[in-house]
Amino acid sequence: MSKPELVVLLLMLQPATWAAERLSYNRDVRPVLSKNCFSCHGPDEHGREAELRLDLVDSALEGGESGKPAIVPGKPGESLLVKRIYHSSAKRLMPPPDSHRELSPDERDLLKRWVEEGAVYEGHWAFTAPVKAELPAGADVNPIDRFVAAKLVEEGLGFSAEADRRTLLRRLSFDLTGLPPTLEELAAFVADPSPDAYERQVDRLLASPRFGEQQAVAWLDAARYADTNGYSIDGGRHQWLWRDWVIKAFNDNKPYDVFLTEQLAGDLLPDATEQQLVASGFNRNNANTHEGGTIAEENLVNYVADRVKTTSEVFLGLTMACAQCHDHKFDPIPQRDYYRFFAFFNTVGDAPHDGDGGVNSRPSIQARSCLSTPEEIAAVEASLNVAREALSAADPAGLGEWVAAQREDLAKAGADLMLHPLIAESATSPNGNPERIRIEDDGSVSIAGGDYAAYNVMCRLPQGVGPVAGIRVEFLPTDAAGGKLGYSGVGGLEGNLVMSTLTTSASSFPALNVDLNASLPMARISASASQPGFGPALLRDTTPTNGWAPPTGSTAPQHVTVTFGRPLDPAASPYLTTELMFIYGGGASPARFRIHAFTGADDGSPHPAEITALLKAGPEAWSPEQQGTIASYFRDHAPAKAAQRTRVAELEERLAVLTQAHPVMVMNTAENPRVTHILDRGVYSSPGEVVKPGTPTALPALEEPADRELNRLDLARWMTRPDHPLTARVEVNRVWEAFFGKGLASSSADFGIQSTLPTHPELLDWLATDFVTGGWDVKRLIRGIVTSRTYRQGAAAGPELLKKDPRNELLARGPRFRLSAEQIRDQALMVSGLLVGRLGGPSVKPYQPGDLWRQISHYGSSPATSQTFVQDHGEKLYRRSLYTYWKRTLPPPNLAVFDAPNREVCAIGRAITNTPLQALVTLNDPQFVEAARKFAGVLAAARDSDEARIADGFERVTGRPPVVQEMTVLLGALGRERTRYAADPAAAAALLAVGESPVDPSLDPVEHAALAQVCSMLLNLSETLTRP
Amino acid sequence: MNAPLMLDRRAFLGRSACGMGGIALHTLLAEGMSMAARGEEVSPEMFRSVAPKAKRVIFLFQSGGPSHMDLFDGKESLEKLHGSNLPDSVRDGQRVTGMTSGQANFPVLKPIAPGKKCGPAGVWISDLLPWTQKIAGDICVVRSMHTEAINHDPAITLANTGSMQLGHASAGAWVSYGLGSTNQNFPAFMVLISQGTGKNPDQPIFSRLWGSGYLPSQHQGVILGAGAEPVLYLDNPPGVTRPQRRAALDDLAALNGRFGEQAADPETLARIHAYEMAFRMQASVPELTDLSGESEETLDLYGPEVRKPGTFAANCLLARRLAERDVRFIQLFHRGWDQHVAITRQLPNQCRDTDQPSAALVMDLKRRGLLEDTLVIWGGEFGRTVYSQGQLGSASSGRDHHGRCFSMWLAGAGIKPGHVHGETDDFCWNITKDPVHLRDLHATLLDQLGIDHNRLVYPFRGLDQKLTGVEPARVVKEILS
Repeated sequence: MSKPELVVLLLMLQPATWAAERLSYNRDVRPVLSKNCFSCHGPDEHGREAELRLDLVDSALEGGESGKPAIVPGKPGESLLVKRIYHSSAKRLMPPPDSHRELSPDERDLLKRWVEEGAVYEGHWAFTAPVKAELPAGADVNPIDRFVAAKLVEEGLGFSAEADRRTLLRRLSFDLTGLPPTLEELAAFVADPSPDAYERQVDRLLASPRFGEQQAVAWLDAARYADTNGYSIDGGRHQWLWRDWVIKAFNDNKPYDVFLTEQLAGDLLPDATEQQLVASGFNRNNANTHEGGTIAEENLVNYVADRVKTTSEVFLGLTMACAQCHDHKFDPIPQRDYYRFFAFFNTVGDAPHDGDGGVNSRPSIQARSCLSTPEEIAAVEASLNVAREALSAADPAGLGEWVAAQREDLAKAGADLMLHPLIAESATSPNGNPERIRIEDDGSVSIAGGDYAAYNVMCRLPQGVGPVAGIRVEFLPTDAAGGKLGYSGVGGLEGNLVMSTLTTSASSFPALNVDLNASLPMARISASASQPGFGPALLRDTTPTNGWAPPTGSTAPQHVTVTFGRPLDPAASPYLTTELMFIYGGGASPARFRIHAFTGADDGSPHPAEITALLKAGPEAWSPEQQGTIASYFRDHAPAKAAQRTRVAELEERLAVLTQAHPVMVMNTAENPRVTHILDRGVYSSPGEVVKPGTPTALPALEEPADRELNRLDLARWMTRPDHPLTARVEVNRVWEAFFGKGLASSSADFGIQSTLPTHPELLDWLATDFVTGGWDVKRLIRGIVTSRTYRQGAAAGPELLKKDPRNELLARGPRFRLSAEQIRDQALMVSGLLVGRLGGPSVKPYQPGDLWRQISHYGSSPATSQTFVQDHGEKLYRRSLYTYWKRTLPPPNLAVFDAPNREVCAIGRAITNTPLQALVTLNDPQFVEAARKFAGVLAAARDSDEARIADGFERVTGRPPVVQEMTVLLGALGRERTRYAADPAAAAALLAVGESPVDPSLDPVEHAALAQVCSMLLNLSETLTRP
Repeated sequence: MNAPLMLDRRAFLGRSACGMGGIALHTLLAEGMSMAARGEEVSPEMFRSVAPKAKRVIFLFQSGGPSHMDLFDGKESLEKLHGSNLPDSVRDGQRVTGMTSGQANFPVLKPIAPGKKCGPAGVWISDLLPWTQKIAGDICVVRSMHTEAINHDPAITLANTGSMQLGHASAGAWVSYGLGSTNQNFPAFMVLISQGTGKNPDQPIFSRLWGSGYLPSQHQGVILGAGAEPVLYLDNPPGVTRPQRRAALDDLAALNGRFGEQAADPETLARIHAYEMAFRMQASVPELTDLSGESEETLDLYGPEVRKPGTFAANCLLARRLAERDVRFIQLFHRGWDQHVAITRQLPNQCRDTDQPSAALVMDLKRRGLLEDTLVIWGGEFGRTVYSQGQLGSASSGRDHHGRCFSMWLAGAGIKPGHVHGETDDFCWNITKDPVHLRDLHATLLDQLGIDHNRLVYPFRGLDQKLTGVEPARVVKEILS
């Protein structure tokens, strides 16, 4: 263990000591009572023992069933409480030993002393309205600094020196925008002589559109925003319009009371706008299910319970969820209050089973993006024109190369082809009726009717015929299918089949199911004929909404043929298992099929017949029209054109995002709203008394109007009352936490009795009251925080200070912590020049290893979307991380490892851990390997010498130039890598091939790879991963 | 309760210490710091119950709901009752899932295969599990497990995190949090997943089941996959060799060490340790998954599928190898036990997947002396209905979910070998003796590791959270030796 760690640890191991000053109930006594006594002698009526309550002064003075007072102020000897906590008999001792609670000697003495001092109770600080305290005297202008300084003086401490400008700008840039400062921004700030140089940086960053993205992340965690429904099947949903509303709200500096009201009750506002409806989607971010067999009433209770939990934790800092099953053990929230609060959210017209097949659960509306701007529309249209032109531009060289390659491939087709019909030994479907699948006498498999299924077929491979090059699946007509090949009832595909995916594995023993870990690569796929738009190449794409289909109306057999990446030795793996996936929908399953193995070369063509004929004839034979046909096919299908096609498709999609309406889930009020009952023990099947909407009785009252029940809009208005004790405190505390790593009250989601007391209560209340009187102005609050001297201090702590204040609660130094998951990835994308700065839009799927989703999902068994991971390409690989598609049951692994939550439930504040798995991501994840390569390209283009490149790169990731020792180490590393790659250019090429962005051909591969390795080191510096 | 000294472990681990990188510190923290959260005097004994009997746990989780009366709880009575309607008096108002609630009648389906009484306790084990029959003398079958949940998501969440609600920490994460890691080369909690051949794909599983919930994220289970890269991002990029990486890490350590000292940043020093452990894992994981050192005899013991990565058999062998390397909590998830349809075809396949490897694991651990301090648990989230889902006798019929009773088995450290615990009625519908809730299983699991489940707590959102939750739970002393 290193020294600083040990110091911190030992400090923590010190027993608490009590100051000689008079005890405070809130600070000293309540935590002890709450932890040890309240669960039996507190607010929970059902859990109460001996009719004794110790959380209320009157009850404690009166006593319980013994009739004797538990507490006689000033007289510990007459107080039953004191007697019992010191009792020598285990039977009489409190807390009872079997409660697993035990008072330490210090705690006993403390309670006794408190009784001696008069047993003065105090109200819970957070349940009484904050009062704006007088500013402490002092020279500092910023009120924050006055409060902090006053406390520092008490402790004999003072502020640390201001951090240097580079550190400050890096800190400020990450805190406000989530991105590092550029070299130009650093240089400008360092050189700016004006007295308000720092404030001008603050204003610049607050005005950046990146501000909303950075601030949104914590809100998405709290609001449990995700792109999938959660629970077990976890299919896709469309909720990004709500996420974009959040980004814009931050960028527009929407006042917090409005921000809150629109999210809680946007749908109830008079003449609600479309965007106010979108905002109400906050309360639809809860997980929902359509799992067969789940019970409707139970699901609905779960959905509403999650709304109660999230709303109360996020806006009120109250852990109301504890009162779902019983009265709250610690906070004055009886179960009845819980269900009155529950009733606010129980009026929505949602459905217990909903959201299947990628269709939003109800209520869902079509709405437009609030982030759309005429400027971006014009820019995207212009880019789209350019991209379309680039794609359609004549490419004689590329075309020639492709034609030659295809001709060569077709010339070899059919050489030595031998088909070996296989006998199906097993044919199964997970949920299908086994009687509907039949192995025929000839070894083919027939299906009795339209199905939605994944068929796993196991066959034995022929021995002694040589290496198996691949398989052919032949589809046959049957009488049951009316002489057609399949059962589809969908228009245009009547009597047809659509095979979504084909997966094959071979094994040494009879495996009934395909082995996803060892699926055989499909090097070439051909078909005897295809329905337009359903070409055989689509079998590679696991998305259910596409696939291969033979021509509709076929009454003769058709087949599809797959050539494996490498021929298979049937002796080593005699069993072949094939999974044929028919999940296109509409009953598009096959009538009958037979699997063949083949040796030699497939005689089929990957292309449609017309194209195949032209290719075989050769370019010399083409008419101008035929040349056009080939050019157009090349443009639409050749791998060489994929990047350009992606570019066009992505711009088209972006244009649609900006100009068209898209689905988003919102709140509404059902025509016949559900009646809310108190549920005994929280169980849906034990409804008790009927209750109406209402707010917790321990908080300021909200009167019900004479003519109607209270609704969510009333709730929002109540929460944003200027004198509400919780709302503003909770919000300013959370904002503070974002800038200091922890709140003034460290339990930022719990302001209840069990919460920690604020370190600076007067400051918290000053900020809260000032926030309200200042119009709930979030940017103003943030500006106040980041311009404070407190925030601008250097973060280094000497041993003295570390000893005195290991957690920096006194704020005698600046805050320092690891960058967030998103910031780490975004920084790498930014310095490498890869970052695509578009705001908002549907979530994206950048690189992920393999198909992790399919390993755990219901793929093939459910129409739910997002059961298989299909990676995006082009600019979607390089969007900011908050746009990464969030699948709740398997969140993005390279973000989750850096403590991003799974978003199944409300998460306020992230832990920050430090693990080896994180190192593996920043060293080996293709996203980071590619970023290192592109980073090297940026440096090579910007600077000429090794030193200059290294210095430049170092500054981009840390904000400062390297010192001599650092430069020496990095130059040494560059030299070493250069030697290594010079000796092994193939290794250099392999490294540079990681990632889909093109390799800069102007760079020498050895130099490029060596510099990329140094850039990888730069991206892994601890300083790089730290917000200083 | 001096506020400035009130440290919560989450902040401590996060901001001023390290995760798995600095093992010594981490272990020390794990043993000592969990109580610091509320400012209590810290003592490593605070959640200790008795001397630990198990050093590690292997949980062979059978996802989907293995059919108890077909596997471990078959009885004569069912032969006689076969085809009769389940009486309402037995059904006792029990809710059934939406999948069979509409069924007109509930005909009793006897076990789909015969079985025999095995081991000293004469526990009935199906002939579908011939290998499990052989280890009847080593295991303790609990026939009286129960759960309130009757659908997969809540049930599997309860079985693995102690609660049907989302957001709680998994059992393995709790153990990692409580006891930390005892080795330098692996995370404390590793997860291996396999697909059943009875039903594929079956019910989904999800990272929540091995997640850390409110605990710091380094306690979440790390998946050991079967592909070319068993741990995500483990391999160096193409074109980067191990010596090359070593040299780069040395340089990085020099750079980071300098910065850490200059900036007095303990986090950076911890990060150097984390990078070193990452480097060690790059060697230790391939060494773990390389089975070339295993004898033919051992491979044969686990059955033919052991040679195929990603199968339950291969994962059982890996579980033994992880146990040898002192990984604290090893959990296998085997999918495919949700036999709503075609149970007569699906269930034998599920049994074939799991029977021999599970038994082989117990045998192999035993002969290597590892069973003494390894707790092995086999079972799923609930059982299945005695009545037939679908027409009795139809090839497509199966059984629905049943939470009122189901069977699991335990073996190894501290568990009575050759024992049977709990009884159900003639219909295998209600428990008649010695009920064991999943919470009790969790309490027992922790107890065997020397942890008092009431004391291993984590303060979060105003509550002392614990694996066994707020309802009472008890250690099942009757099954302990």
